[in-house]
Amino acid sequence: MNLTRRNLLKAGALAAAAAAIPRPLLAQLGRTPEPLPPIDDPRLKALASSALETARAAGAVYADVRLTHSRLRTFWPVYTADDESMEVGVRALMDGYWGFASGPVWSPDEMARLGREAVHQAKVNALGKRRVVELAAVPVVASGNWVMPVAIDPFEISPFEVQDFLTSLDLYCGRIPDSGLQQNFAFAAVQEKAFASTEGSYCTQRFYRTEGSLIVRLQLTKERAGNFAVEGLSPAGMGWELYTAERIPRLREHSLREEIRRGIEELREELLLPVKPVDVGRYDAVLDAPTVASLVDKTLGRATELDRALGFEANAGGTSYLTDPFGMLGSYQAGAPAFTLTAERSEPGAVATVKWDDEGVAPDSFTLVKDGVLTDFQTTRESAGWMKNSYAKAGRPVRSHGCAGAPSAVEAPLQQAPNLTLVPGREAHDFDALVSGTARGIAIKGAGIDMDFQHSSGLGIGRVFEIKNGKRVAAIDSAGFLFRATELWKALHATGGEASLRRYGMMTEKGEPAERCYHSVTAAPVVVKDLTLIDPQRKA
Amino acid sequence: MRRGDGPARLVESASSARILSKEECDAIARRVIGFARGGGETRVRILSWWNGELRWARNRVSLASDRRDIRVEISRTVGVGRGSVGENQLDDASLEAAVRGAERGAVLSPNILRPPPGMPPLPHATYPRTALWSDATYAVTPETRGEVARALVAPAEAQGMLSAGYLEMRAGSLVSVSSERLTDPYAPWDVPYASWTQAQCSMTVRDAQGTGSGWAGLSGSDWGKIDGVALAARALEKCKASQHPVSLEPGRYTVILEPQAVADLMELVAASMSRPAPENSGAGPWALAPDEALHLWRTKLGLKVLDERITISHDPADPALGILAEPWMQPVTWFDKGVLTNLAFDREYALDQLNVNPGLRGMVGYRMSGGDTSIDEMIATTARGLLVTRFSDIRRLDEKSLLGTGLTRDGLWLIEHGKITKAVKNFRFTESPLFALNAIEQLGVPVPVFRPVKDPYDAQNPLTPAIVPPLKVRDFSFTSTIDAI
Repeated sequence: MNLTRRNLLKAGALAAAAAAIPRPLLAQLGRTPEPLPPIDDPRLKALASSALETARAAGAVYADVRLTHSRLRTFWPVYTADDESMEVGVRALMDGYWGFASGPVWSPDEMARLGREAVHQAKVNALGKRRVVELAAVPVVASGNWVMPVAIDPFEISPFEVQDFLTSLDLYCGRIPDSGLQQNFAFAAVQEKAFASTEGSYCTQRFYRTEGSLIVRLQLTKERAGNFAVEGLSPAGMGWELYTAERIPRLREHSLREEIRRGIEELREELLLPVKPVDVGRYDAVLDAPTVASLVDKTLGRATELDRALGFEANAGGTSYLTDPFGMLGSYQAGAPAFTLTAERSEPGAVATVKWDDEGVAPDSFTLVKDGVLTDFQTTRESAGWMKNSYAKAGRPVRSHGCAGAPSAVEAPLQQAPNLTLVPGREAHDFDALVSGTARGIAIKGAGIDMDFQHSSGLGIGRVFEIKNGKRVAAIDSAGFLFRATELWKALHATGGEASLRRYGMMTEKGEPAERCYHSVTAAPVVVKDLTLIDPQRKA
Repeated sequence: MRRGDGPARLVESASSARILSKEECDAIARRVIGFARGGGETRVRILSWWNGELRWARNRVSLASDRRDIRVEISRTVGVGRGSVGENQLDDASLEAAVRGAERGAVLSPNILRPPPGMPPLPHATYPRTALWSDATYAVTPETRGEVARALVAPAEAQGMLSAGYLEMRAGSLVSVSSERLTDPYAPWDVPYASWTQAQCSMTVRDAQGTGSGWAGLSGSDWGKIDGVALAARALEKCKASQHPVSLEPGRYTVILEPQAVADLMELVAASMSRPAPENSGAGPWALAPDEALHLWRTKLGLKVLDERITISHDPADPALGILAEPWMQPVTWFDKGVLTNLAFDREYALDQLNVNPGLRGMVGYRMSGGDTSIDEMIATTARGLLVTRFSDIRRLDEKSLLGTGLTRDGLWLIEHGKITKAVKNFRFTESPLFALNAIEQLGVPVPVFRPVKDPYDAQNPLTPAIVPPLKVRDFSFTSTIDAI
């Protein structure tokens, strides 16, 4: 068969798979290299175990190993680029000090080298002052396998199907007057991961991550122009159905084309509003769901990372405004009584969703802030150990919440953010309803948030509108808002209902060396009182 | 080139060979090119890196690591199509599979990177030697890192403070070749084998109650030039001096910016140094309003835009400013005594608009001129002002004026009548580096600053050194106080 586009599309999925990289990459599981087996192949377990045996023999009291096989595919309307890699990393604990070694080769020799090197790294520091590590207990997972369920595996379909879909969005947008696509690309990732520990755990998993960037530009006149990013395409634990589904609960209520059309209509209305300058002051503010998600994530989402709260990120991203984590637990008023923030790694479609984390812990659902009061922190096995006394006092078990993660096996696991959810209000309000219910105030859409390095105060810049008698009557030019995290959440006045919840995939950078991981934040639009509106470009 | 001539085994990862050598890279490239079928051009880029890392917090090492990885990117251009595949395995089967994948991509996707028709032939490229490699950095062992870390933490711990920090030694190698040019001379977009080292050392010392914080750090190719003990002493001193800060009214202040603060602010300028594309002529800070009559867009090239005491330049031969070599790389001055003299552009722009052949780099690495006034002298001659250690979380607000906003961090002090009198709570600033560099009162001796490349997979600019002076600047705008310490 001629290798032409038409023939491939006609022949369908099988032929499409042939158009992909003809693998395999090779692993040396025994004497000779052989094609990469599926991640749950028992020979990989033997390979992983050999790394742990070496680490044990070298003196580790605990060791774990991760093998990852990752594929990335970037789609533009006319082009697809592929990337694939295999990595392995061993972590060893000795005398309260951790060592880590990683590389790109899956072979018995390399497992032995990494096992020895990880212990060597730990030993070298164990010569220093005393350090105690108490790993919270975790049930042994003798053998487990989990595949993230997706409707359409983005690596099993023809890349042309994807390219055609992206091109169709281009064409659709171009037919709407005054509009065009400024950015249009999609991204799919799949990672297979095997985890083994000296406590006898072995589990394998496969995760997907799909995301896209669809930015629509509207140019009504030379002066009145704007753009917006189509909602629902932030990183998700889903497959290609992220683009093609007619409706995805918590992401979008309509097809992508319909979202484009509605977004353009809404932007057109907004661009036709009169424009006013900023009148600096305090206002009741209606914040849309993406703004609330960013605010929640960057304030409490960061502040409740227990390692950060204890200074482990002080030389990098900074510290936490929860300066006395153990003292504040159960008593610190982090927000209004209506403010409850929960965390988990199990929500279908969310991007931090796993069956087991990078320490073999099955994450649980937990509550970070309940009715405004700080009740828990994000933990790994080591940091859960720090909470021992606090948990005992509260009559709770000492267990890791399963937040360990790393982008791939070549990086060491850190405490990474889980999925976060701001519990919705009881009334069925949405953004428009909250605006209708506001006599005088402002509405803020799509704000980007910059926090300070203690995550305690911040600056938001987005599209701001004046509200009068329940309607958006003007756009406010060059506006931003200043806030203090705790004041903001204490001033929470109303929260949208269950139906107005929206989920956003966020990327965070943490650690030295820097690691980029993903998690989802689900939030509804809210009303906060007395938000400080400023002109961010005004100098002193 | 027959298949199967390459090693059947996987790459040997002996711990002595932490990155790929020139010979290994050449052999890999030849094997990849040998696997190609169907004619056309094959390009292969091979990156390898190794990191030796040590991180500490609360006065104890939290993790020590030895990590390494490889990236091979293969593209096949056949006819009007181009496909590319990246992977990280060096055995024949994986490389050949990647070549096949790129070939399928080439059959089915247009070559969006095709050079425009009519480009003149490529002249012979010369690559200067740049100071990228230091044996001192490469030789540092985990034991040494451990000893260094303990020495850096001890003074802080002895005084009841909490130290957090990071040490990293890195080595990397890169080569990029095309099947059309297997031997010298390399084409402009090929990179002859280059290897580099980068070392970084930084720490933050805080008191146990969180009322003070001090920071110091340095990065560069050569670990031998980084005095960790001096950095640790400075961070500790700043921590102690910054405890219990008082609130000050926002406003315009005379500021003494330490070199790190100047470098942080300069990132806004460094990111803006490209010539805008013809269709985007009005964009950026360097465009003048269009000449409507002549239908011309002009730039501020040739105009004085900064204080005449500021010259920003880069000499590839400078041993302190080694960056990845480019073809025909010459010394360049972007600001010459305050006059904007050069903006970066790529080869296409060069041929299309300027009738020259090579492109011109932006401020990947740079040296900024200064003076000889010490920071102590600057303080002594300040009636009222602020001393700033560094800035953090800077974001650009306006592309034409380069107005930005960000925060002071890890040490801010009030100066009154020539003396430091109080530690001050951090401020948010709203200011443009272009405004600040036109309001200079005094300049100090330029020194290397902390400007490491974070991502080991970065094959564009693996080193980004900068040499920057301290500056005293008047009327610097601080717009609000923040509580963060």
